[in-house]
Amino acid sequence: MVAIEDIRARAKELLESGKVRSVLGYRRGTASVLAEPAFVTAPEDTAALVLDATCVENLALYLVNEKKRQKTQRSQDTRPLAVVAKGCDGRAITVLLQENYIKRDEVVILGVSCENGGMIDTHKLSRALRGKAATGAAFDGNGGIKVAFTAGETTVPAAEVLAARCLECTKAYPLVSDYFFGDKIDERSYSPRFTAVSAIAEKSPEERSAFWAGHFERCIRCYACRAVCPMCYCDECVVDSTSFIVNPTTSADEKACRIRWIQRSASPSENAMYHMVRAIHLAGRCTDCGECERVCPVNIPLRLLNTMLEREALEMFEYAPGLDPEQPSLISSFRDGDPNDFIR
Amino acid sequence: MEMILKKDRLGEWAAKLRGSAEVFAPVFADDSWNFCKVEPGAELTFDHGNTVRPAKGFVFPQREVLYRFRQESGEAPQLTPTLPADGPAVVFGVRPCDGRAMVRNDKVFTCGFADPYYQARRDRVVFVGLACNAPPSPNCFCLSVGGSPHAGDGLDVLMTELDGRYHVKALTAKGKEIAGIAEALFDKAGAADSSEVEKVHAAARSHPQRSIAAMEKVAEGLKRNFDSPQWDTLAQACIGCGACTYLCPSCHCFDINDEVSSHSPLAGERVRTWDNCQFPEFTMHTSGHNPRNTTGARLRQRICHKLLYFVENHNIQQCTGCGRCISHCPVGIDIVRVANVMEEAAGQ
Repeated sequence: MVAIEDIRARAKELLESGKVRSVLGYRRGTASVLAEPAFVTAPEDTAALVLDATCVENLALYLVNEKKRQKTQRSQDTRPLAVVAKGCDGRAITVLLQENYIKRDEVVILGVSCENGGMIDTHKLSRALRGKAATGAAFDGNGGIKVAFTAGETTVPAAEVLAARCLECTKAYPLVSDYFFGDKIDERSYSPRFTAVSAIAEKSPEERSAFWAGHFERCIRCYACRAVCPMCYCDECVVDSTSFIVNPTTSADEKACRIRWIQRSASPSENAMYHMVRAIHLAGRCTDCGECERVCPVNIPLRLLNTMLEREALEMFEYAPGLDPEQPSLISSFRDGDPNDFIR
Repeated sequence: MEMILKKDRLGEWAAKLRGSAEVFAPVFADDSWNFCKVEPGAELTFDHGNTVRPAKGFVFPQREVLYRFRQESGEAPQLTPTLPADGPAVVFGVRPCDGRAMVRNDKVFTCGFADPYYQARRDRVVFVGLACNAPPSPNCFCLSVGGSPHAGDGLDVLMTELDGRYHVKALTAKGKEIAGIAEALFDKAGAADSSEVEKVHAAARSHPQRSIAAMEKVAEGLKRNFDSPQWDTLAQACIGCGACTYLCPSCHCFDINDEVSSHSPLAGERVRTWDNCQFPEFTMHTSGHNPRNTTGARLRQRICHKLLYFVENHNIQQCTGCGRCISHCPVGIDIVRVANVMEEAAGQ
C-alpha cells in the first residue's frame, strides 16, 4: 500500500537535508475535484501532500518548465528537483533522460504505484453526471468509485470513470525511481493494451476521416494539449507565428517572409494540420500519460492519435519509449533488422 | 412584457422562430454541453449547468474575415469588404452570467466606435436567457461580481422555469419581437405567476456560492500588489495554455493576420482571430524581448484586466462569475482564490 505519510516524510527529509530545492507533488486544490500540482519548498508544507485517484497531472512537465525557466535566471540553484511520479509520469521522465533533455542527477524520482486502479477521467465523470461538476471522487474499496456532486452522491463502476490509459495500463509504477512507494502492479483486469485505438483503427479510412473531422472541427486551438505535454518542449513551435528566434541582425524582411505553416484560424484544415504535426512529433516518444486528452476543454480524444503511433512503434520496431534511460530513442537509432519496405 | 409558456409549447415556439431565424440551444454531446443548432424535430431540454463554450462566439467568432484582397501583377490591390451576412439567430438557454458578459463585450466593441463586424452580429442575434434555479456549479460566483442567477442585463428575453411552465419576460425590442412571432402560444402572466417567479428567484439567490469576500477592495488590492512575489507562486502551476481566456465569456483580445491563398496573383483574406494573454507570444516584441515573460506576469494581466483595469475604465468588473476559467484550468488556477489572496495581502 502507498502510505502518504511515507511520501510526506521522505519529502520532508529531502527538503530538510537540503538535497533537493523543491518537491513537486499533489495537494488538494480549490478549483475542482482534481488535486493540484504542489511546489513544496518549506519542509512543514509537505504535510499538505496527498496521493489518490485525483492526482492526475503528469508532473514531469514541470521538470521541463523549470529547466526552461532556469535558463533565464542569473543565479542558479543547481540542486535537483524531487518529483512524485506515477508509472506513466515516470516513463515520461525516462524519455526526457533518453533524449538528454534532463540529466539523471537533476531529478529525484519519488515513484508511486497506482495500485488502487488508476486515475479518474473528468470527461467520463462529466458523462456520468450529464455535465454536472463532481465535487469528490474516490475508490470505495469495492471496485467502484464514489462520486459526489452538488445535489448528491452516486457510486459508479471504476471502469466507467477511470482514464482509458489506466484501463489499458500494463506498468502501473515507474521503472526508474530513487524512492518507491507501494506495490508493483503489472496486471490489471480492465482492458488489454491498445483497446481504444484498435476500435478506431479497424474502421474504414472514410469512417476514420469523418470521425476526426468531426472532432477537429471543434478545436479552439487553446494549445492546452501542447502546453501540458512534457514531450512538447521545443523552444519554437510550428504553429506560433512569432516565436521564432529573433536577434538584432534578423531583418524585417526575414521576419515578414517567415512561412506560416499553419494559420491561426481555428478552421478544420488548420486544426487537423496542427494535431497531425503534434502527433507525428510524439511518435516513439509519447508515454501515454493521457494529459493531452484530459486537458482538452472540447473533449477531443487526442490520446487515440498518440497511441496509434505508439502501437506502430511497437509493432514495427519493437520499441516502447520510456523504459530504460540508457536505451537510444526510436528516432535516433537504427538496426539492420528494422523494416524498410516502406522506402521506395 | 411578461408571459407564460407551457413547457410542451417550447418546441412549437422554436419551430415558429425557425421560419425566420437559425435557432440554437444547449445540447449534450461529446460529454459536455454546448450551443448547437436545433434541427427540426429535435427536443429542447434545459438540463445544462452552463455550456463549456460561452455565448460570445455568436457575436465575436473565433475567426472573422475582415476583407478579401487580390492583386494582379502590376496593378493596384483590390479589397472586397466582407461584413457578416448571416441571417438572424435566436440562442436559447443562455445563462445570466453569459448575458452580463455581452454588456461587457458591448462596451469594448461598440462604445465610442462601433466595430461593424461585432455590431452586425450583435444586431442579428437574440439571446434568450434562462434563470439558474438549481444550486450553482461548484465554481459559480456571479453574486460576488454584481450578478445574480436571474440577472437580465445583456439578454433579450429572460425565461424562468416554473412548475410545468416557463415565465417569459421580454427585455428588449428584439425580445418582444420573437415573442410576438408566436403570440398565440403564450398565456398572460398573472399575479400568482409573478409572485412564484419572485419566490424562485429568491430561492436561487440563497443557494450557497463561492465568493470573493470583499469585492469592493479587490481592485485596490490588485493595484497595491502589482509587484507582489505572490503572482509567481499563484501561477507556478500555469502551463501557459489558452483554455481560461478562450472559454471566458468576456475575454475579447484578438489578433489580425493575412491568410494568403495565392501568390500569383496575390490573393487572400485579412482575418481576425481570438488571441490570448496567457500565450507567451502575446506580448512578444519584434526585438525578441518579452515584457511579460513569466506565468506570474501573465496571470496578473488576466486577473487585473478582469477585476482592476476594466473597473477603472468602465466602472464594472469584466468578470461575470461563470467559473469556466476555474473549472477548465488543467492545473486548478482559481480566479476566486487569487482575488481573495490579493485582497487579503493588501490589508496586511
